[in-house]
Amino acid sequence: MNWGMTMADDTTELEQLFAQARQARSGLPDELAVRILTDAESVRLSRMTPVLQPRRSLWARLLDGFGGWPSMGGLVAASAAGVWIGFSAPDFLPDPATYIFAQDSSFVVADLGLDTTFLEDAE
Amino acid sequence: MEDLTSPLQDVRGTSGAAGDPGDDTLLRQFADGDAAAARELTDRLGPRSFSVALRMLGNRAEAEDVTQDAMMRLWQVAPKWVPGQAKVSTWLYRVTLNLCVDVQRKKKPDRLAEVPEPEDGEPSVADRMQDMARKDALQDALSQLPDRQRQAVILRHMEELPNPEIAGIMGVSTEAVESLTARGKRSLAAILAGRRDELGYDDG
Repeated sequence: MNWGMTMADDTTELEQLFAQARQARSGLPDELAVRILTDAESVRLSRMTPVLQPRRSLWARLLDGFGGWPSMGGLVAASAAGVWIGFSAPDFLPDPATYIFAQDSSFVVADLGLDTTFLEDAE
Repeated sequence: MEDLTSPLQDVRGTSGAAGDPGDDTLLRQFADGDAAAARELTDRLGPRSFSVALRMLGNRAEAEDVTQDAMMRLWQVAPKWVPGQAKVSTWLYRVTLNLCVDVQRKKKPDRLAEVPEPEDGEPSVADRMQDMARKDALQDALSQLPDRQRQAVILRHMEELPNPEIAGIMGVSTEAVESLTARGKRSLAAILAGRRDELGYDDG
């Protein structure tokens, strides 16, 4: 930048101009400060207002409770297997009907002779 | 010849010296809902953005709009600001300069400078006239510089920023800043040389 040395006088004058311009530099006009702070306040308030979440349906909330769609797949599969076993139980599984309708005669309601008992009491 | 490599101290302090919170701390506080932080940031940074915009555009109304816009972007970026990544002032200067470029692109060449009068002190009418003539001369000369030179000269000689910070603002190397500043000053000197008698520098 040796070329600058040939313009030393001009540079000095330029430095004077810069110094004067810096001195004359005006601050922020009040009206502009108000505009800026109004913007700041609107941004601040908009940020502080909670964003309202749209109300979710009962089904969507139930689904979340079960763990979402992935877990629903497993639930459906398990239910289908249960229905199938109910209709057509494999041989290695005991037949639940044997527990519900017991074959032992001592458990047959008719054998208790309730009708007779009631009749005897009435008499 | 001025030593362009010596960093100038940032006398307006953005780094939180003497216990003051730094600009990025204030920005975080604003993002957390602190209105007072916005006032402090406006006091610190608003004048700098406005000063640069005024010199870049030479038009007060346009400079005010640019500064308001630049500060609005600051408020909006606050929650996403990453502390330590960049100085807030550097970011704001860059945004301000970009907005100035946008304004200049939108309007056709209308180089009549509209520079505010100095408000400090009570100089005589004659002094004020001469100051205004000089300032107008400087503004006129600045407006004739290419954008990048004008930006570099304003940041260096009006804002008194160190070259590395100017480099960060303009997205160029420090050497490029030195070159832009030097070329800008040489052009300014040449433009002003023709007006020397008119301005009466010798009796100032």
